[in-house]
Amino acid sequence: MRRKVRLINVIQHLLLIIMCIIAIFPIYWMIISSFKNESEIFTASFIPLKPTIENYVYAFSEMPIVRMMFNSFIIAILMTALQLITSLLAGYALVRWKFKGSFFIYTLLSLSWLIPFQAIMIPNYVLINQMGLNEQLLGVVLPFAVSTFAILSRYQSFKAFPVALIEAARLDGESDFGILLHVILPNIKSTVASLGILLFINGWNEYLWPMLITKQMENAPIQIGLKSFVNSDVNMWGSLMAATTVSCLPILIIYLVLQRQVVDSFVRFGIK
Amino acid sequence: MSRSLENNYHPPLSNETPVFRKSVSKKGKIRKTLKPYFYLLPAILLLGIWMYKPLITTFFLAFQKWSMVPGTTPEFVGFENFIRLFNTKDFVISIENTIFYTIGLLPFSIIIPLLLAVATHDMTGKVKNVYRVLFFIPMILAPVTVSAIWRWLFHPSNGLVNIFLLETGLIDTNISFFSDPHFAKWIILLMTGWSLIGFSTIMFSAALTGINKDYYEASSLDGASKFKRFFDITLPLLSPTILFMLTMSILFSSQFTFAYIDILTAGGPFGSSTNIYYEMYKYGFYNLNAGLSSAAAMLFFFVFAIIALVLNYVSRKFAFYDN
Repeated sequence: MRRKVRLINVIQHLLLIIMCIIAIFPIYWMIISSFKNESEIFTASFIPLKPTIENYVYAFSEMPIVRMMFNSFIIAILMTALQLITSLLAGYALVRWKFKGSFFIYTLLSLSWLIPFQAIMIPNYVLINQMGLNEQLLGVVLPFAVSTFAILSRYQSFKAFPVALIEAARLDGESDFGILLHVILPNIKSTVASLGILLFINGWNEYLWPMLITKQMENAPIQIGLKSFVNSDVNMWGSLMAATTVSCLPILIIYLVLQRQVVDSFVRFGIK
Repeated sequence: MSRSLENNYHPPLSNETPVFRKSVSKKGKIRKTLKPYFYLLPAILLLGIWMYKPLITTFFLAFQKWSMVPGTTPEFVGFENFIRLFNTKDFVISIENTIFYTIGLLPFSIIIPLLLAVATHDMTGKVKNVYRVLFFIPMILAPVTVSAIWRWLFHPSNGLVNIFLLETGLIDTNISFFSDPHFAKWIILLMTGWSLIGFSTIMFSAALTGINKDYYEASSLDGASKFKRFFDITLPLLSPTILFMLTMSILFSSQFTFAYIDILTAGGPFGSSTNIYYEMYKYGFYNLNAGLSSAAAMLFFFVFAIIALVLNYVSRKFAFYDN
């Protein structure tokens, strides 16, 4: 019996270790490739014998990486902030008051995830062009200023908030907005933060829309710059891996620092 | 996508108990009735402008001919776009591929993760967390990042995969994975599966932790085997999560594969790896045929909506909830 249990344990760990290797190896390969020198890049060596930063130097000189990373930050932060604000306000209204049309509004919100972005991209593209916002960060952000997914997740968490606390604050003369700001928010900080992380990652990784809106490298987020690098036929795999590493560094750092919250937020909220 | 597929709206539990005030002015009353709308305004306005209105526009564009050139007006053509759609060879291929991707993803989004989650369920805390944290990583990486890495790994002459296959003698000549019609869509499927598998495993693990341990104890006292316990207890209790992941996998498989197709194969070679969303994008932004793109969009909007409703109905009817 003992031996059988141990055997099962070994198999379990083996399974998981294989899974981990499959998950991690491509990333490992990306990082070590970025440090390999020209003669080593085309070999299968698993550690760079003569590590070099030449690839990074080349990548930074070929593309406006700093500028594009900056664009990505602005886009991701603006999207996150706007989505959090709109979802906090909307979720609060839906939970707090009984009003005409609330069910209809909720239905509209919860059905909107059925609309694939490809089904609305042409009218949105035309509208952004009419507004003169193409090639601009605002044009990238605007259609993503509201996330129904964020609203619904706020709705769920407000729903779980004790009504008694709200009532007490109201009798103390706190305004409705004050209740949201001073009573509810401090208590749900952690879920707002994990939602924020999720929204930031989504914003950072956004692909199709920024590709349609930004054609010039200086206006584009890093994903779009990287895409044109991947598709250019230069055989600079070392520098490409260097640029790729740089592009996902912010996400990987957030993940290293806040792994628990990131995993929890995905489990709690699903994916968009 | 939110975890709540069905309408979970509940009216507020407590009606506002009126606060005693000396006089409630008429103006104040109006302000009070308008208040909720005021809070909802930013969200509703943005949603209307950027989601529902464009959806309606797309619906009308599906019956029009328009090349998206500023200053020109769309021309009504009836069902012509839909007829053309089905006479386009790539469109038919893209439907086949969409089905291929949708079904092909199920092992990665449901079967393997489910088995992994069950196999590792009774593991203890810290070790389990390390694993969780590690195999979640593919999920958070951008599609462009993943594409770049995989393109390098599968590079026709110098990629690690080709080197490995040659060294071990499995192949004699290098394979150009992304420009070979036999391999392109399989690689894209594999990549998408790779980025989903860890996430699904964690979803199932989380659901398993929520299962009451008493069931297992009672059943093992009855002498039920591990297999029997899996089918009698685990599977029914996981059914809400399974159906959720199934819905997500089916509805989003084309979204998940879109970026990889665009970056790595552009739908080719010979349309062998395209899917319907990629065709819509191509019709719109390469062929500048807004009508054709919109017709495809509308068609599949309804197809997916029906699938979603059916799955929603199924999960409401058959999912087993442990209350």
